[in-house]
Amino acid sequence: MLEPLLGSKNAERTLIYLLVRREGYAREIARFFGSDPDSIHKQLVKLEAGGVLVARPVGRTRVYSFNPRYPFLKQLKALLEKALTFYSLEERESLALCRRRPRRGGKPL
Amino acid sequence: MQTKTQTWRETPLKSIKDMTMAELAAFVQASLRDKGIDVVLSGGACVSIYSGGKYVSMDIDLVNNRFATRREIRYVMRELGFEEQGRHFIHPDTDLFVEFPPGPLSVGQEPVKEVEEIEVGTGLLRIISPTDCVKDRLAAYYHWNDLQCLEQAVLVAEAKAIDLDEVERWSRVEGKLGEFRAILNRLAGGGT
Repeated sequence: MLEPLLGSKNAERTLIYLLVRREGYAREIARFFGSDPDSIHKQLVKLEAGGVLVARPVGRTRVYSFNPRYPFLKQLKALLEKALTFYSLEERESLALCRRRPRRGGKPL
Repeated sequence: MQTKTQTWRETPLKSIKDMTMAELAAFVQASLRDKGIDVVLSGGACVSIYSGGKYVSMDIDLVNNRFATRREIRYVMRELGFEEQGRHFIHPDTDLFVEFPPGPLSVGQEPVKEVEEIEVGTGLLRIISPTDCVKDRLAAYYHWNDLQCLEQAVLVAEAKAIDLDEVERWSRVEGKLGEFRAILNRLAGGGT
């Protein structure tokens, strides 16, 4: 959708994922889209270097989210939200549906 | 973008090991400017300079204000004897390190409209104003609840004249008017 603007399908996937889920890490994003984790990682690093994203360490993982101080954040999110409306209902639901609440250790499934 | 100039002090050109943070920043800026690269000092170094050293930062953040590439910047920095180490540039003669955060020069959602120019021993230091420095620190406090940055904003407000009406207007644009009102007394010198 935004590939001509962003220059990469994985850049779009990364940003759309973070728009909907607010945060994520390379392997998780790559797994969701069936992409190469290295390619997603490169996009995350590039977007962080450009000030679009910020990262915080969680254990050995770097978890990324939008940089609230990025001056074009509002406009970027508006563009991504518009692009998201062109995704299929199934894709949008799949992106939105993920467990975020805590899970007690040792709890049986 | 407007600029305001004030006299800082005049000293002869020093070697890098004897340069203060402001002097080193101005020295690097001048070298980059010779190659058409415009960078402005922002971040914790401004707090250090404006607070008269009450806050110590070793990090010189020079915001790449136009579209200079990393390669162009690296070329100039290497000419000055700096070595690239990750996102930083280090020099054997100083513990200070230089970083080039991505532009545009902004505080929160807004561009920086006015850059101060201060004459230091090594040339002209282009630096965000004390009011923008306070806004820059408050952005980190507002969005990440970074209390260290709030303390840095207070240090600058104690040392320099701050346009609190402007900080209030900006805080409203950031959607943080309530947070601003909660700390206004501290910025205005009224304590906690």
